[in-house]
Amino acid sequence: MSAVADKYATLQELGAEVLSVSVDSHFVHKMWNDHELVKMVDGGIPFHMVSDQAGNVGRAFGVWDEAQGIELRGRFIIDPDGVIQAMEVLTPPVGRKFGETVRQLQAFQHVRASKGTEATPAGWEPGQPALKPGPDLVGNVWKVWQPKMER
Amino acid sequence: MSARVGQKAPDFQAPAYYKGGFTTVKLSDYLGKWVLLCFYPGDFTFV
Repeated sequence: MSAVADKYATLQELGAEVLSVSVDSHFVHKMWNDHELVKMVDGGIPFHMVSDQAGNVGRAFGVWDEAQGIELRGRFIIDPDGVIQAMEVLTPPVGRKFGETVRQLQAFQHVRASKGTEATPAGWEPGQPALKPGPDLVGNVWKVWQPKMER
Repeated sequence: MSARVGQKAPDFQAPAYYKGGFTTVKLSDYLGKWVLLCFYPGDFTFV
């Protein structure tokens, strides 16, 4: 979570709020923040650290691991209407890549700003052309997008 | 109810730690904003 906290300013600029969730109590969240995370992130964790001791939130989002009694690494991008636009779930030993989360957030914001008239191709990053789905694009994607454009 | 892309996120209310204090978080209070909801296995784990 320190990786997200370190990039929190980037998310704030994009108008996104962060909520972290684990089965630890809010008291343990405080201890983790005060004794370890504050050594990795100036000022400690800047967002709400949610406690889900009974696993109810995790179950609702499909990330509850019954055997271990923990929550898997699930990351959800939720839009201003409360709709889940993206989800990524990893088993515990592998951490997330923050840059990809930001890229997806920017892509969903681009699509939303176009009121759904545009779509973003594989690897799209801000500044690159987006696609305008319609009859004219059928069979013509190659004119506006090539695999080598993905960085 | 299970979470799926393109559908409403399940609402929840739960206790939270926030900047030195204890508070309650309700997901639906964040309507109007983009939210990054991040689950992780546990505090004091290594990744």
